[in-house]
Amino acid sequence: MRLSTAWIASTCLAFAMASCGGESAPSDSKSTTTDAAGKPAITVWWFQWDPATGLQELGREFEAETGIAVNVQQIPLASYQEKVFLEFGGSRTSFDIVIGDSQWIGRGASKQLYVELTDWLPTVVDLATIHPRAAKYLCEYPENSGRWFAAPCETDAVGLAYRKDWFEDAAEREAFRTRFGRELTVPATWEEFREVAEFFQRPADKRYGCAIPSDRNYDGLTMGVQNLLWAFGGKWKAEDSNQVVGHLDSQGSVDAIEFFKTLMKLGPKGCERLDYGQVLESFTNGSTAMALNYFAFFPGIHAQFGDKVGFAVVPAHDGRRVASLGGQGLSISAKTSKEQQELSKRFIAWFLKREVQEKWITKPAGFTANSAILSSAEFRAKTPYNAPFADSVDAMRDFWNVPVFNELLTVTQRYVGMAVDGEMPTQEALTKLAQEKERILKEAGLL
Amino acid sequence: MSKAARGSGGLAWALVGPTLLLLIAFNVFPLVYNVVSSFTNAELIGGDSRWVGGAQYTRVFDDDLFGGALRRTALFVVCAVAVEMLLGFVLALSLQREFRGKQAVLTALLVPMMLSPAVMGLFWNLVLNGNYGIVNHALAALGFDPPQWLTDRDLKFWSILMIDVWMWTPFMMLISLAGLSSIPTSIYEAAQIDRASAWKVFTRITLPMCGPVLGLAVLFRATDALKQFDLVMAVTGPNDGATQTLSTLLYQVVFRDGKVGLGAAFSCVILVVVIALATVFTRYIDRVQARDGV
Repeated sequence: MRLSTAWIASTCLAFAMASCGGESAPSDSKSTTTDAAGKPAITVWWFQWDPATGLQELGREFEAETGIAVNVQQIPLASYQEKVFLEFGGSRTSFDIVIGDSQWIGRGASKQLYVELTDWLPTVVDLATIHPRAAKYLCEYPENSGRWFAAPCETDAVGLAYRKDWFEDAAEREAFRTRFGRELTVPATWEEFREVAEFFQRPADKRYGCAIPSDRNYDGLTMGVQNLLWAFGGKWKAEDSNQVVGHLDSQGSVDAIEFFKTLMKLGPKGCERLDYGQVLESFTNGSTAMALNYFAFFPGIHAQFGDKVGFAVVPAHDGRRVASLGGQGLSISAKTSKEQQELSKRFIAWFLKREVQEKWITKPAGFTANSAILSSAEFRAKTPYNAPFADSVDAMRDFWNVPVFNELLTVTQRYVGMAVDGEMPTQEALTKLAQEKERILKEAGLL
Repeated sequence: MSKAARGSGGLAWALVGPTLLLLIAFNVFPLVYNVVSSFTNAELIGGDSRWVGGAQYTRVFDDDLFGGALRRTALFVVCAVAVEMLLGFVLALSLQREFRGKQAVLTALLVPMMLSPAVMGLFWNLVLNGNYGIVNHALAALGFDPPQWLTDRDLKFWSILMIDVWMWTPFMMLISLAGLSSIPTSIYEAAQIDRASAWKVFTRITLPMCGPVLGLAVLFRATDALKQFDLVMAVTGPNDGATQTLSTLLYQVVFRDGKVGLGAAFSCVILVVVIALATVFTRYIDRVQARDGV
């Protein structure tokens, strides 16, 4: 029996060590997926929201033209990232195309999860038609390398929604003029933004100044803060390297967070921990004068409020205006068959056509990266949020998109959160954050 | 060895074998795999993991997130189990006697326990919502300043604890009720003849005789509370520093950061802590049972 126990233990250990050794190679079977009617079909994964429904509608048009069915599966946002990367952990993925968050591209590219599109993409689309900021942050890895791993799908940036009816109210305008000695206008600078927020902050009347993403669970606080970080001259890292110390812990970054802290006192209760949905809710419940959120939410706001709301680019500081990038690119799974990859390429090529992009922007919250469309007078005039969106694309920047972005995000949320909550002096929090980020980057071989 | 002995040995293996294989496949192998993984830098994606010795364990003990999650989990276990035990026992005492509608009250009290913690988390998210939750509406109507149950850094942990108490007090009540029912009525009658006061009956008869059963209930709930995951995920998510427990930290490390090796080291340390606590506790119960001759 002693021998048997030893045998069992050693077998387990051997199995365990063998299993740790590596994963099986991606399947390269020649199979093509078909739908119930026997037509070739591709599966696209995206999270559950309006643009995914719009993409499914476009997919039906693609099917009518080509006979290739497109099945857009909408995964609940809260578990989207985990589900996608668990799929990638296997030898095959259930999806052929994944519409991945901009921050995933480093992991997708460096772990060979996404098919590289560098040679193929220029054969189907003029790359000059893709807005350079969308190309840089949604499609390329490393940034500015010219290596493409995604095609732009939903381009998004943080913008400003405000209560136009309150801003145009004669009594409010008079009161504002009396108090601040200037006209009540849409804030062009962060200082103006704070004044307007202060002016409308009337908790006794259940009226509040502003709502900004600040949630600690995923990336809300980081996406909210970085609009100010860059504007105040702060940085996540050096422009030409991954050096963090000496850049993130700069005076500009400290000033940005100190300013952000003052804004956290000018919102509804609990405004220092609002996720995107809660920012939206605090604005759409009619209590808040201004909300910073992604443009993808603005069509819904406009549908609810009509002319009572206005939209603008995020404020600037000392002439610097930077908007947090949102949006996702279309990436082809490297863990699907070559035939499926070819079908996926046909869909992406079709989706990037100018005439399809013209349709895409008519879908709920469908925003394009097509430069020609973005700069066209027709697009800018079509809705009240289109012009500020187009201007925001020119000013958008992204957080880290290296393979260890999640770890970088976790520590950023933690230390910036401690600074915003006053648990740690801002300078100390940023110094520790910079050191922690360099540790993570060094461990990952990125510094 | 005789032929008969060999035959009976073969039969024993045939009977035990399938169970043993299942045990190895689903318990022993994952455990060994996890321990081996904890000495590698394995990631969720990518097969280029290599042996890193005890580096992951050094990370675990250097990481103050782990310390924070451990303290928070311990606080959660102690507070949740203590409050649930106390309330459950009080409820069981009040339900010990027969009264009209007892079955209906019992059924109503057991409902929270029957529901999924994830569903309960989402449900309480609505109930405790700072802006439109029914609790805050009620508090505002009564003239109180409604707190932000789920967003206030100092409150959200206690809000989750409150939901857990709401869910699991019925379990403690049920076990306590079973313990109370097992005490022979003759002992109470004897105490009555001896004119023992109600307090004496409670401290000398009820509590000691229920002790082992209550101890088991505490063990069950403590091990369950130690794994607290569903409610935290549903209410605040895995990465909220104010509510992160060991389980949600583990989830964050493995499924979001993709660090399987580090996550394996985390889980091994957690396993050791759980085994140590369970051993101490079961020994205590054994001692109590031996003392009381149960």
